[in-house]
Amino acid sequence: MRHRILQICPAVFVLVLLAPRQVLAEWVTWYQFGSEGSYVHQTAHLLFFLSMLFFIYEIFHANLQKFRGFRLLVWAWALFALWNLDAFVGHWADWTLQNPLILGQGWDRRLVMDDFHTWLVYITKIDHSILLAPAFLMFYLGLKALVRKPGAR
Amino acid sequence: MVTLPLAPLWILEYLSALLVLILTILSLRLSRRLVDQDPENALWLFLNWLAIALVILAVTHLISHTLHDLITYWNLPNLALVQRIFGGFDSVVYVVIAAITLFFHRIQRLYLRMETDHHYLEETSHEILALNREMEALVMERTMSEMAMGMAHGIRNPLHIIGGFSHRLLRKTDEDDPSRAWATAIAEEARRIEQMVERFETLAMRKTSFFAQEDLNVIVRSTMDLLLPDLKAKNIALVKELCPEPLVGRFNKHLLKVALAHLVRNAVEATPRGGTVLVRTAMEQQFAVLILRDTGRGMPEEVVEKVFVPFYTTKIGGTGLGMVFVRQIVDEHRGVITLESKVGQGTTVTIRLPHRFTDRPEVVDEFPPAAPPGTLAAPSTQGPGPGKA
Repeated sequence: MRHRILQICPAVFVLVLLAPRQVLAEWVTWYQFGSEGSYVHQTAHLLFFLSMLFFIYEIFHANLQKFRGFRLLVWAWALFALWNLDAFVGHWADWTLQNPLILGQGWDRRLVMDDFHTWLVYITKIDHSILLAPAFLMFYLGLKALVRKPGAR
Repeated sequence: MVTLPLAPLWILEYLSALLVLILTILSLRLSRRLVDQDPENALWLFLNWLAIALVILAVTHLISHTLHDLITYWNLPNLALVQRIFGGFDSVVYVVIAAITLFFHRIQRLYLRMETDHHYLEETSHEILALNREMEALVMERTMSEMAMGMAHGIRNPLHIIGGFSHRLLRKTDEDDPSRAWATAIAEEARRIEQMVERFETLAMRKTSFFAQEDLNVIVRSTMDLLLPDLKAKNIALVKELCPEPLVGRFNKHLLKVALAHLVRNAVEATPRGGTVLVRTAMEQQFAVLILRDTGRGMPEEVVEKVFVPFYTTKIGGTGLGMVFVRQIVDEHRGVITLESKVGQGTTVTIRLPHRFTDRPEVVDEFPPAAPPGTLAAPSTQGPGPGKA
């Protein structure tokens, strides 16, 4: 009971401290870095990232990596973790990019790469897609291998 | 001035998002199959929940990124509100995925602990089952032996009378008397029956089964391994000082395990957290010695005196028979058990077992020395006397 109280008290303190003010007003500009919405989104990415690491640790702790299905899941989780890091950096770069210079119309639009910040936005956008698809593919293949030969009962 | 096209970025983004959507739907079907295969498997349930969350993520992610691109690069600010809603969904889904994973992390720990406990219980129940079987067989053998001895005793008495009178008849009968041959036949047959009864008695007294050449160190080690979780649960340090040489004797390992387990459990109950239980084995002339010492609360002299008295107990719910059984087991081995205890300092139990058996436990020509003064000793061959449980 004492242990629970020691857990709950700091949690309540942190909640009170970080309680959002003018929430709706802030959510209007949630995609701009510095708003509460952006913090929530970035924190969610970090949480996602940490949970993936936890899962990888758990797989190794339970010695499940000897099964092909779980090895593939570990790859999926590692890619998800990387994707979250990439998304974290990419969102920060995207939301802080001031007035990007875009030339052309429609599908011919081109982004002027005038500084490192713009390059970072472009590269992380590519990574964002490149990392996500293989992560889901590994998740699918991992599940497929587990359905064929479950391994963990 | 370097410019890069945005179209490949969008194409890659949407192709990736569509592929992800398809893969998540396929993954959801697979996870469902896993759950159907084994509905009680926590891991499959977790993967199923995760697959559901990932399908939602794939949908909201595709929509929110499309809206973001439309607003930023296609000048459609009217979509800002919808984009905010789906962006919020994205955040919620990430948190949900993290929560599911972290929850699983705890559940997995719980599962592993449950599995360990289950294995421990299984091992213990197998051990108890084996012990029960041995005990039942031992009791049956003992009962049969006693019945046989009783029958032999019952036959021997009339046989002595028949033999005695037939010899008297022989002495009183003349050499040429035809009935002398009958008396001789009676006397000879009576002697033959007597010899048979003697052999029968010898066989009935031989209780060698269950006793085998065993190493006391091995018995102690396996028992302590079995009881280690009890000691760990109470944070009690176990000190094992086993004799480097094997202490081989004719022991009944199952009975000795029962006795040692009872003594160790008593020690664990009496010892406060952070205490120490010492198990030592040694060779002492013709005896294998087992010493069990704890740093527990100890017992006053009046309790020590009654330790081996049947039905005497200081524990609530105790039977008062545990220590009686322990002494009985030591008796079976023709050994001696002594107990020393001081209040606040702990208790020491010493068991001396003759290990130089040449044939069977009963055939022992050397008996253990008398217990030192100031201690309670329960030597073998005594009837149910001092004891405690």
